[in-house]
Amino acid sequence: MIHRSFSAITLCALAAILTSNLSAQTASTPKRDLAGIWAPLRTMEGIGGNGPLSARADGKHEPPYTAAGTAAFKKNRPSNGTTEVGPGEENDPGHSCDPLGFPRADLFELRAEQIMQNKDQVVILYQYDRLWRSIWTDGRQISADADPRWYGYSTGKWTDDYTFVATTVNMDDRTWLDNAGRPHSDELKVTEIFHRTAPDLLELSVIIDDPKFYSKPWPGIDKIQMKLQPAKTDSIEMMCVPSELNAYNVKHANLGNGITGKK
Amino acid sequence: MFKHWKLSLLVLAALAMPFATQAQTKPAPAPKRDLTGIWEPVRALDGIQPSGARDMPADGKPQHELPYTPYGREMASKNKTSNGPNQVPSSEENDPGHMCDPLGFPRANLFELRATQYLQTPQQLIMLYTFDKTWRTIWSDGRALPKDPDPHWYGYSVGKWTDDYTFVVQTVGTDDRTWVDNAGRPHSEEMKIEEVFHRIDHDNMELTMTLDDPKVYTKPWVALNKLPLRLKPATFEMVDMMCSPSELEAYNKRHAERGAKKK
Repeated sequence: MIHRSFSAITLCALAAILTSNLSAQTASTPKRDLAGIWAPLRTMEGIGGNGPLSARADGKHEPPYTAAGTAAFKKNRPSNGTTEVGPGEENDPGHSCDPLGFPRADLFELRAEQIMQNKDQVVILYQYDRLWRSIWTDGRQISADADPRWYGYSTGKWTDDYTFVATTVNMDDRTWLDNAGRPHSDELKVTEIFHRTAPDLLELSVIIDDPKFYSKPWPGIDKIQMKLQPAKTDSIEMMCVPSELNAYNVKHANLGNGITGKK
Repeated sequence: MFKHWKLSLLVLAALAMPFATQAQTKPAPAPKRDLTGIWEPVRALDGIQPSGARDMPADGKPQHELPYTPYGREMASKNKTSNGPNQVPSSEENDPGHMCDPLGFPRANLFELRATQYLQTPQQLIMLYTFDKTWRTIWSDGRALPKDPDPHWYGYSVGKWTDDYTFVVQTVGTDDRTWVDNAGRPHSEEMKIEEVFHRIDHDNMELTMTLDDPKVYTKPWVALNKLPLRLKPATFEMVDMMCSPSELEAYNKRHAERGAKKK
C-alpha cells in the first residue's frame, strides 16, 4: 500500500517535471520558425546507407509492397540492403551522379541542412550535392498534370506554432526512394512533418504514400532528431562528380585485374 | 479651325496619358542593404553566354583576346571546347561540365545564369541558381577570407556592403578542374574573383565580375560589366534544369546512331 502511494507520488512528480519542461521549451521556442542550420543528432541516422532510419533494409523492416511494387523493386539492383548485388551489377541511378531526387534527399545522406524562410517559401539547402529545394507556403495548389521533376513540387503549411507539414507530389519515377533501391511510382505523395520541440531541436518525419507500389503509407523516417548548429557553421562541400567516379572505378577495376601501376 | 485645334489637344492629351501612367509606375527606390528576391538577366542570352563570358566572348575579335601568361596559354590549349573560334568536334571536346561535373564558380555566373534567388540572413547572402539547383554561400559576418584555402568547386566567398546599394564579394579557393566559362578559359587555384552587386532601384540590379589570376592572366579582366538583372515576382517558380549523366548518355547514343546512319 505504501509502495502504491509512493508510486503515485512519483508519477505525479514526474508528470510535474515533464509539464514544466514542456512549458519552458514552448515559451522559448520560436513560433512558426524553422530557420537555421540543422544536423542529425546522430550522424548515422541521417546517412541511411542501408535504407532510411525507420525502414532499414535488414529483412525486418520491408515496406508493404503491392504486386506492382514488388515487380518494380526487383528491377532495382542496389549495392546495399537485402537485395544487394556486386559493384559491376548494380544500377543505382545515384551512383552515376544522376540527381538523387526527392524523397531520397531526405532518406539518404541527410546531413547538415540549412532551412530558410520568407513569407512565400520554406527553402532547404542540402549539404549533399549542394542542392536546394523550395516548399511554397503561399497557398498555391499544384496542378495534378504538372510534369514530373527530380525533386517534385512541394507545398507546406503550419498546423500549429511548432509544426510545419510539407506535401510533395509529381516526382520523377526514375529516382529511387532510398539507398536500398525501394521504388516509387508517379503516384507517390510524400509528407514531411517538421516539429520543433525545443529552441535547438527539431524532429523530422517523412511518410511515403504510394498506393500503386505500397498497400499503405509507411514512415521512411519517424522523428529523426535534428540539432541546431551555430549560425556561422560552414557547410562541407560534398558533391557527386562523374569524373571522380570514373577515376575511382578505373582504379578499382585495375586493382581487381592485378594492375597496381607500381613497377 | 478651332474645332480641329480642340480635337488635336484632346488627342495629345490622350497620347500623353500612357506616358503619365508609365511615369507613375516607375520602379520604387531600392530597399537599403537588401538583395533578396528572384533576379533574372534582362536579356536571356546575356546570362546563357554560350560563347564565353558575356563581356569577353570567344569571338576572335582582338579586343576580346584574354591576356594570357605563357602558363595560361598552355592551360588554355589543353581545354577542348565545342564553342567559340577554337571549337573542336563534340567527340573531341573535354568540357568537364558536359559530363555533369559541377560547373563550379565563377562558371555558375558565366554560363547558364538564369533566374537566381537571393536570400539573406544576418550572416550570409545565399544564392540559389536555376542550373543544377545549386546554392552558394557568401559570408557577410565580417570573417576574413581563408589565407590558404583548400580548393572547392564553388570556392569560399565573403562579402560586404560598401554603401546601402552595393554589395561586394570576394571569392578564393576555386578548384582548377573547372573552366571559367563555356569557351574553356582556364584558371588556377590562385584566382580571386570580385563580384559587385549594385542595386539601382527596386526592380533593377547590375552585376559586375572581375577575374584576377596572375598565374594565368597578366592582368585582371572584366567578365561581366554591369550585367542588367531584373526582379521577378516573389511567387515565380524556377524551372528544374539539372545535368543528368544518364540523360546525357542517352542523348549521345541517339546522336551517334543518327550520325552512323547518315554515313
